[in-house]
Amino acid sequence: MAQEKVKADITGTVWKIVTQPGQQLAEEETILIMESMKMEIPVLAPVKGTLKELLVKEGQEVSEGQALAIIES
Amino acid sequence: MPFEKYIDEHARRTAQALEMGGTKRLEKQAAHGRLNARQRIDYLFDPGSFLEIGMFARGEPRADWDNTPADGKVCGYGRIQGREAAVVSHDITVKSASSSPINVRKMGQMRRMAIANGLPLVLFNESSGARIPDTMGAIGTGTLGQDPTQFIRMREVPYVAGVLGPAFGTACWFTQLSDFVVMRKDAQLAISSPKVTEIAIRQKIDPMELAGWRMQAEVTGKVDYGVDTDEEAIDLIKKFLSYLPSHHNEAPPKAAVPANADEGAARLLELVPEDRAKVYDMRKVAEAICDPGSLFALKDRFARTAFTALARINGQTVGILGSNPMFKAGAMDPDSCDKACTFFVLCDSFNIPIIILVDTPGFLIGVEGERRKAPGKVINMMSALQMCTVPKFSMVMRKSYGQAYLNMGGTRNTDEMLAWYSADVGFMDPNVGVNVVYGVKREEEPERFEQLKGEIQRDSSAYDLAGIFSAVAVIDPRESRRWLARLLEVHQRRPAKGIGRHLLGGWPTTF
Repeated sequence: MAQEKVKADITGTVWKIVTQPGQQLAEEETILIMESMKMEIPVLAPVKGTLKELLVKEGQEVSEGQALAIIES
Repeated sequence: MPFEKYIDEHARRTAQALEMGGTKRLEKQAAHGRLNARQRIDYLFDPGSFLEIGMFARGEPRADWDNTPADGKVCGYGRIQGREAAVVSHDITVKSASSSPINVRKMGQMRRMAIANGLPLVLFNESSGARIPDTMGAIGTGTLGQDPTQFIRMREVPYVAGVLGPAFGTACWFTQLSDFVVMRKDAQLAISSPKVTEIAIRQKIDPMELAGWRMQAEVTGKVDYGVDTDEEAIDLIKKFLSYLPSHHNEAPPKAAVPANADEGAARLLELVPEDRAKVYDMRKVAEAICDPGSLFALKDRFARTAFTALARINGQTVGILGSNPMFKAGAMDPDSCDKACTFFVLCDSFNIPIIILVDTPGFLIGVEGERRKAPGKVINMMSALQMCTVPKFSMVMRKSYGQAYLNMGGTRNTDEMLAWYSADVGFMDPNVGVNVVYGVKREEEPERFEQLKGEIQRDSSAYDLAGIFSAVAVIDPRESRRWLARLLEVHQRRPAKGIGRHLLGGWPTTF
């Protein structure tokens, strides 16, 4: 089983988490929604797999490249 | 019977060539789930159309004459859906398809004849690289480079590459030169194999980290699609070629127009939210505007802010570039500029009109961008767009700010710029503008901030853009397909018979 970190591709704030650890995800399914540049931007699963761990909380400021979650596939 | 011994000898040698590297090696290839070099050609070409060139070529040393059928690269011509093409299919069962002076001559022949005769060049790349020990030493290495035109790429014909196994050396170089690349997910693409690299740098290497498909699809952007099987790879190659002309002095072929092709555009007001805080997927907008089923994304896993695809409108091939708000809110970064630039080069080289769908807050700025040469990438994209001589149209849907407004075809950087009535154009995001122009910060003077922001936004409407004749029209989004289809009918470059000037033909193949 390969583990992969899902990273923020932009600096912003974690606005809403819409998944939970253990959930099966399709490729491009939304894991959480960030707020940046006054827009709500979904963070998508890069591959099909299971959400192993969330590394951030709602309201947390994150930087571009920061790991947000771990997916197992 | 006259000539009987010649007939028998010819049949013997032909059979020997067709055995490739022998039963054991062919079985090993099949056990990997891969087709062999000749099976790939059979799958690519229309039945009965393959004409092999160089079947009896063999390795130069006398000791290799009987164990290097076709010298490890099967080459020739055939038809793909009725259109002539050339192929180089590396045979991994013959000395690991390593490159030698003889088989490099064969590849050169295919390349020159493809260019001279207007044939797309298809490369099934799977090779260990240069033949060892033949290329060792001054004589071995000095024998290389006999063809001073080997790596010139002027885009007279499309090059398409399937990376179908380990692909090092020449197989890697020609993949870099290609317009479209598919890669098996178990294949490897790098300068040299992980084994040789480990020896050279004295460190253990993860082969997939060095040479795997996701690195090439997501980080370097060289690979358009990762696939599980050879058949999938070849199907994608055929699909790509179906959008393009056979050579650069031909217009792309026209396809039939599907039924209900005009219906998708009616959904555009549902697909694109009126609320500016909400994002949407630009790929769905492109789908709604183009002929159903015709959208064919290129490099979709790389630089995702910039969506690039071939598609059709009323059967005519078009190239779609869109800034995608789903990724980085549509803000363009250095990789997006490179991807857009490469896409302009492809479309312009093969006479494909370009349509740019715009919703972007501008270029991403910051130290990281500057370290990645953002200004140079921005200007490469701008130069390439201005050098395109194919018809170019831009459609500003929502935001278009700053230099990105120009890079995405603003004003006369495309032949006709349309604006949706929701277009919002300005030099910078109003939230930033209030601070820069007036020195007012939201957290210090919230009421004044909102008032000044309102003033800036009032001046950014589509009608202001049309008033100075930057936008040639302000349109209802649901009219997008109708407008673009009519513009394509008008903009046919009739005096040049639809052929552009190809100013980008010699643009570098990697960014």
